[in-house]
Amino acid sequence: MPAISGILIDGVSYGMILFMISVGLSVTMGLMRIINLAHGGFALLGGAAAHWLTTIAGFGFVISTILAVASVMIIAMVLERSLYTRIYRFTELQQVLATIGITFLMIASVNLLLGSTILPIRVPELLSRPIDLGFRTLPTHRLMVVIAGLLTAAALYYLLERTWFGVRLRAAVDNRNMAASLGINTVKIYAITFSLGAGLAAFGGILGAELLPIDAYYPLRYMVLFLVVVAVGGMGSIAGSFFAAIALGIIDTAARYIVPEYGTIFFFVAMMLVLTLRPNGMLGRT
Amino acid sequence: MKKLLRTLAAAGTIVLAFAGSAAADHTVKVGVIAPFSGPFAIWGKQFKNAVEVYVAQNGKKAGTHTVEFIYKDSGGPNPSGTKSLAQELIVRDKVDYLGGFVFTPNALSVAPLIQKAKVPTVIFNAATSIIVKKSDYFVRPSFSLWQVTVPMAEWAWKQGIKTAVIAVTDYGPGNDAEVAFRTTFEKLGGKVLDAIRMPLSTTDFGPFMQRIKDKNPNAVFVFLPAGPPSFAFVKSYNENGMKAQGIQFLGTGEMDETTLDALGDAALGLTTAYHYSGAHDSDKNRAFLKTLEEISPGAAANLASVGAYDGAHVLYQMIKAVGSDRTKAVAAVKGMAWESPRGPVSLDPDTRHIIQNVYIRRVAKDENGKLINQEFDIIRKAVPDLGLPN
Amino acid sequence: MDTAIRQNRPRHGLLTFRRLYLDLALIGAGIAAFFLFPDSLGFLTRVLIMIIMVLSLDLVLGYAGIATLGHAALFGSGAYAAGLFAVNFSADPLLGLAVGAVAGAVIAFVSGLILLRAQSLTLLMLSIAVAQILQEIASKERAITGGSDGLLGISMEPIFGIYAFDFVGQTGYWYALTVLTAVFVLLKIIVASPFGLAARGIHESAERMRAIGTPVYWRLVAIYTLAGGVAGIGGALSAQVTELVSLDALGFSLSAEALIMLILGGLGRLYGAIFGTVIFMTIHHLAASVDPFNWLFVIGALVLIVVYFLPEGFIGLPARARKLMRWSP
Repeated sequence: MPAISGILIDGVSYGMILFMISVGLSVTMGLMRIINLAHGGFALLGGAAAHWLTTIAGFGFVISTILAVASVMIIAMVLERSLYTRIYRFTELQQVLATIGITFLMIASVNLLLGSTILPIRVPELLSRPIDLGFRTLPTHRLMVVIAGLLTAAALYYLLERTWFGVRLRAAVDNRNMAASLGINTVKIYAITFSLGAGLAAFGGILGAELLPIDAYYPLRYMVLFLVVVAVGGMGSIAGSFFAAIALGIIDTAARYIVPEYGTIFFFVAMMLVLTLRPNGMLGRT
Repeated sequence: MKKLLRTLAAAGTIVLAFAGSAAADHTVKVGVIAPFSGPFAIWGKQFKNAVEVYVAQNGKKAGTHTVEFIYKDSGGPNPSGTKSLAQELIVRDKVDYLGGFVFTPNALSVAPLIQKAKVPTVIFNAATSIIVKKSDYFVRPSFSLWQVTVPMAEWAWKQGIKTAVIAVTDYGPGNDAEVAFRTTFEKLGGKVLDAIRMPLSTTDFGPFMQRIKDKNPNAVFVFLPAGPPSFAFVKSYNENGMKAQGIQFLGTGEMDETTLDALGDAALGLTTAYHYSGAHDSDKNRAFLKTLEEISPGAAANLASVGAYDGAHVLYQMIKAVGSDRTKAVAAVKGMAWESPRGPVSLDPDTRHIIQNVYIRRVAKDENGKLINQEFDIIRKAVPDLGLPN
Repeated sequence: MDTAIRQNRPRHGLLTFRRLYLDLALIGAGIAAFFLFPDSLGFLTRVLIMIIMVLSLDLVLGYAGIATLGHAALFGSGAYAAGLFAVNFSADPLLGLAVGAVAGAVIAFVSGLILLRAQSLTLLMLSIAVAQILQEIASKERAITGGSDGLLGISMEPIFGIYAFDFVGQTGYWYALTVLTAVFVLLKIIVASPFGLAARGIHESAERMRAIGTPVYWRLVAIYTLAGGVAGIGGALSAQVTELVSLDALGFSLSAEALIMLILGGLGRLYGAIFGTVIFMTIHHLAASVDPFNWLFVIGALVLIVVYFLPEGFIGLPARARKLMRWSP
């Protein structure tokens, strides 16, 4: 049946974009356990930087992406040392408020510097053509995102499960004091991890921009979407976010194929069902 | 309490009576309500620029009266906030006229207010047909969805397009556009193969593209809000090879001049029907663009600009004719005709809505390589609002 | 924050009105505002309505500890119910308020059955989902609700058949102030009652409350339902005063703004809801006249200052100031 293969192909590729734009959040919120509503803000900064680099400064797409992600990681590092060190100790509600305040400042800055209209990122001509898979066509851009998503997932898995850094990070988030007393430099680990999360946000923002276009109000427009992926996947689980993103991508796409007029309702009802049956998400730890 | 209320109400009435009977030759204030903050802030900016262009070209005086514009921020769709702003403008700032309004619910929220307070209100955008029926004091020199959609369907039929798929964003304006296109197209003999209502929050159009391609129509008629949805749809339209398959894109306001650049070459050749293109070929429009460039370098002229510019014109004519004696203002401009940057227009004396040409345009590059909406055909001249039952 | 709440916890039911002077001052301020700003009654009325919404949120979040980002679901249900009632059945304002309250309570009860089994992030997400689903339904049922154009045709009868709604907003203001005062008094009585104390107990330790035999879940549902009624009254007022209901009444940004106002003011003391709302909306109103385009800078900075330096919110300000005075030589 073409419909089913269509749903699967479109669903997986959309799910991969959901994963790419929310994987940074599953690092800061899932692993580090801070309600980080500023995630979309970092994605916005990355996207805005990439917009400026590709359209105004005239750099190529790849160079721009690298520069944009790197600068967001530096900004994140500075913010982590200045604002987030205290946020870690806040209550959940205070974290919500603090990170939303930071988001507002990011939005206001981009709004002031680049205006409130869409900030397009110029991609190579090659990526904006359709590619023929034999039985149907798919935008080349989608294919690139799917590959980038798989690579990112694999790299994160390797980093967290197979390296010393990953071991220390997991020790630090499980029990920060204990880890510190064992001689792990938790301050540094936290700073690096947070910066990594922000960098991933920027990377996802740039790659996903064809689908979720960047503009100053990006963080507020898609905040719920990012949160849904992490909540459904389960706090503390990157793998959970991965499977949740794919599942949500397929569900949302199926809804658009079958009952487009009820698309949004379908999506949220599905989310409520999952969260009612599994309050800690698909792979969440209790 | 009851007595107190009565006294206060009486006091209020006296104050208002004074405001209403103010002498001629004084400053007449106009309150402009529009989004100046949030995701829709571009609207307020476009409005303000265009009003300033009009003032720069015509002076601060309308007849013997000095005109003063007061701008207020409504944010997005927010009827309760808009209504209280209008109240404040009328009661505190003593404005005699209102203008602006981007969103339908915001415009509708002031209808009872302006009806009671007798404040002529010029709508710069809000395009749902029914608005003008809700108060005798509304005048609308913008456009309505029916007004631009019906000509699109007629043109498509004339081009030999026999089958179409309709894909609209699932909310009020989208539903109106769907009905307008379907009614007209089917009446002419065209066949609507499928009609898709896409969720407002969607920016992943891949699945809809697949569904449209499977039907293989001559054309796809779309209605999408300007901004992220239009942007993502056009990208998707190209990336999924619809253009290559020969499915023609038909739309209305999707190729908005403020976001056209963002679309890049993906937009080239897309056809829309609309009442104004920033590239309209006339001296009036060239003069408008020239002053706009002086006031706000780099700003693009779009539907918001022309709506506000003509709005300012209507306001000036009302003020010139009656000053602050606002009860007679609407009657003074009914049936008025003038040359707008969009071409010749007039106000329908029955509906107080603008009568205008609707142009068929396609996206092309001008001599500087900038993307523009190139007008190349007029299917209907002097179109009234076709969405109001007569 | 917990210590702050504990210090202010009424120790006895009779102490409901131990801050009577403050309550009277607030009502006095409400009356004075009418005479001080007679030209901005529309705005002031919106502030009063928003206070009702934020008070309702305080009951849920500040007292019972239920973190929600979907409070607009309750407010909007009240607004649509009151609006539809006015259009189709009766335009009597007080009946409309009752209908709004019932609608808010019913939606709260039904959604509460699902929501209140969850906690923290899951609860937040579920509450968002409820509001989004309702908003989508309101958008789709265009024949009934008017969809994105808004629900038209609301035209209220005079209150008690005497006080007609005028376009300056005088009647609307007194009406909203009276309703707000009634809601405030009611909430003060409730939070000091055994029922309200149980809510606090659940907030501080659900386990302990369970151990002493409190049906925690059903208590939460009851509080949420009550708050739904209050939010529904706010929504109904909004519908009656604006004479139009649109989808923004069910929107995410309304929920988020209410939450910000509450935390700015201070949780769990009712007064915080009042001060937070007044301060937030006043600043917004002023910023919107001066430089709306950059207003987010102001609100962003304000939010950060409060979280970092005034963790109890604005109502913690006097105590902070006293402390500073003592520290300085």
